[in-house]
Amino acid sequence: MFTRSDDKITTSQAVVLLTDSILGAGILTMPRDITEKVKTPDAWLSVLLGGIVALLVVWLMTKLSQQFPGKTIFEYARNIVGKIPGSVVSMLMVIYFMIIAGFEIRILAEVNVFYLLEKTPIWAVIIPFIWTAAYLASGGINCIARLFQIIFPVSILILLLSFLLSMRLFELDNLRPFLGEGLPPVLEGLKSSLLIFTGFEIVMVLVGHMQHPQKAVKAMLLGAGIPVILYVFATMIVVGGLSVTAVLRSTWPTLDLLRSFEITGLFFERFEFPFLVIWMMQMFCNFCSQFFVTSLGLSKTFGIKFPLVLFALMPILFIAALIPKTMNDLFALGQTIGYMSIILFALVTVPLSLIYLIRKKGLRKHA
Amino acid sequence: MRKYRMLTLLLVVGIMATQTGCWSSKEIEDMSMYVGLALDDGKPTATEEKLDKQGEGYPKRNLFTATVQIVPVKTGSNNKQEKGQGKGDGFLNESETGDSLIQLMRQYSLRRERAVIGHHLKVIIISTDLIREQNIDKLMDFVLRDNDIRPSCIVLLSRGLARDTLKAGNSEEIPAFKLQAMPRGHFRTGEIMRGVNLTRLNSLIGSKQSFMLQEVASSDGETEFSGAGIIKGDTGRYVGPLDQMDVQSVSWITGDIEGAVIKSYNWHDEPMTYELKRLKSKIIPRVEGDRLSFHVHIESEGRIMENWDVDEDPSQSEFLNRAEKIFEKTLLQMLEHLLEKLQTKYKVDVSGFGKQLSLDHPQYWKKVKDRWDEVFSQTPVTFDVKFTITDYGSSKK
Repeated sequence: MFTRSDDKITTSQAVVLLTDSILGAGILTMPRDITEKVKTPDAWLSVLLGGIVALLVVWLMTKLSQQFPGKTIFEYARNIVGKIPGSVVSMLMVIYFMIIAGFEIRILAEVNVFYLLEKTPIWAVIIPFIWTAAYLASGGINCIARLFQIIFPVSILILLLSFLLSMRLFELDNLRPFLGEGLPPVLEGLKSSLLIFTGFEIVMVLVGHMQHPQKAVKAMLLGAGIPVILYVFATMIVVGGLSVTAVLRSTWPTLDLLRSFEITGLFFERFEFPFLVIWMMQMFCNFCSQFFVTSLGLSKTFGIKFPLVLFALMPILFIAALIPKTMNDLFALGQTIGYMSIILFALVTVPLSLIYLIRKKGLRKHA
Repeated sequence: MRKYRMLTLLLVVGIMATQTGCWSSKEIEDMSMYVGLALDDGKPTATEEKLDKQGEGYPKRNLFTATVQIVPVKTGSNNKQEKGQGKGDGFLNESETGDSLIQLMRQYSLRRERAVIGHHLKVIIISTDLIREQNIDKLMDFVLRDNDIRPSCIVLLSRGLARDTLKAGNSEEIPAFKLQAMPRGHFRTGEIMRGVNLTRLNSLIGSKQSFMLQEVASSDGETEFSGAGIIKGDTGRYVGPLDQMDVQSVSWITGDIEGAVIKSYNWHDEPMTYELKRLKSKIIPRVEGDRLSFHVHIESEGRIMENWDVDEDPSQSEFLNRAEKIFEKTLLQMLEHLLEKLQTKYKVDVSGFGKQLSLDHPQYWKKVKDRWDEVFSQTPVTFDVKFTITDYGSSKK
């Protein structure tokens, strides 16, 4: 196969990259997060509504990015609002991506140590992942995209297979009554479900790297749509399999669902292990793309060479990942990331789009 | 140049040393897996007392006695002489008394050279004596929280000593494995409930509504499913047993039945038996104003599978019609007996009425769910049962 060096990705690669940037640790705790707010079996509706809102945001981001072909947010923010405000915007994005990266790798390590490698020190889990990700990211977006293309079908297949096998516990009565308390609980759940699709801000970087930016809208909506559909399914199957009360009483409901049955005769009797191992690759992908974007943002904003930023970030990420002391800190951080995503939307995407529109109109008038 | 080659070589060797993997692996031969866990009232066993006399213990309250069934036991030659509870049957039962389950598990390490691990726990048996005093939520806290124990493990009650159900029987099988497999008989008879695993139990406990768990009786290592025990939702404690017929009646009401027989006596007082083929049952909650009532509609198809009355011909439709009526009456009696027990004796609902109400009338349910058992015991319930005997097996006489 030929090696590309132009840092461009194909349309299908862009889809996979976006999907992998959203799909990650969220699936392990998401059914409980939403159900805690909703308190009825209608959590999946909240996820669906949250997903639709997220898709609208993705659409807006794509449209904005399409106006600057070949440029990422880190470059076009300056074009729109000027050098210094543009840099501030870029830094906001960089910090956000970095926190997600640290969060993702920490969850990966926590689950790993709790269920698979008890007594392995947590640094021994985190460091190899950071090293591998740095090595991968040093190859540029193209290398990342190609690896994701390999991992994506495997992890989706295992996820769907896990869901399929969990159907033996699925009881429709657990998802009933449908809208028993009307829409208010569902809207209450929206508070949480808006937060679970974090990471899609990467759209504003991806579009700039697309070989055919004119196909960006379709690609990005598909890339964000896949996680939305999977999350809706996951919520339905986990709540339907465990019931609302059991979901609320479980730290990792998705894993508990898989731990609730044994399949004798199949190659794996206990399905949480293959699922966790494969899903770890998915979380790695998520981490890797956030790591990549963080480095890219820093290098573009300050004009530092990319590999230098990449390697300098490694220890910082490691420390950042270990900052939350307890599980509660970690879950609180997850919440905070969600809120940051909303703040970013209000501080970055909307103003940039508005200012761009105003200036464009202004230019036309003067012309 | 040479210097660099040495450096690379060193680096390669160094990296290889870190890549050996499985840092914290432990050989499975060095571990004891416990496959069964029995929880009894807190009375130290004789062995325990002797051991305690010789040494200093640790501060604890004797709230319960936990017995674990450990497999496999090393099959040494002197194992036969060791007349322990395990009797050299390939497993070993060990008891510890205390007030924290995980602490007890760690205490086993003081008595055995191999640590116990919970990855393969298949069955938990709780004695009704213990659960009369302790909330089931407290007892199950550790097993639900632990990362080794899988929630796929099933939970049973025992009216006698729970650890007796783990004793060796006549069959070669490990008692815990046998108990785990027994709920599979659900497809044969309605007297066996669908196995309740930890996840399901978690959801039952969390709902704060009363529920029932299969009871197992034991005698000299033989075990039998002997009905079910009722656990009250608000206290999490045992209130009393339901017999096998009652468990079957609950299955008829909830419709969670795959196979069942009903035996009755015909007009000549001869036994005859109906084998269930198909069941459609429906609980219909009716809310009129503030008044609640339930109607249960049961429709069933089946066949005459045994008839002791040699003078009668079961292939005659006249016979079938009369038999249908008799079976309907038998089931009605069973159902009413159950209802009497639930509403008057125990004042609980374990037969899915509350669940159906919550599905059909969520608003009404919200009002009554905190005192549902009380409300249910005052609620009128009516039944109608329709049996259709479609055939009479391969014998036509």
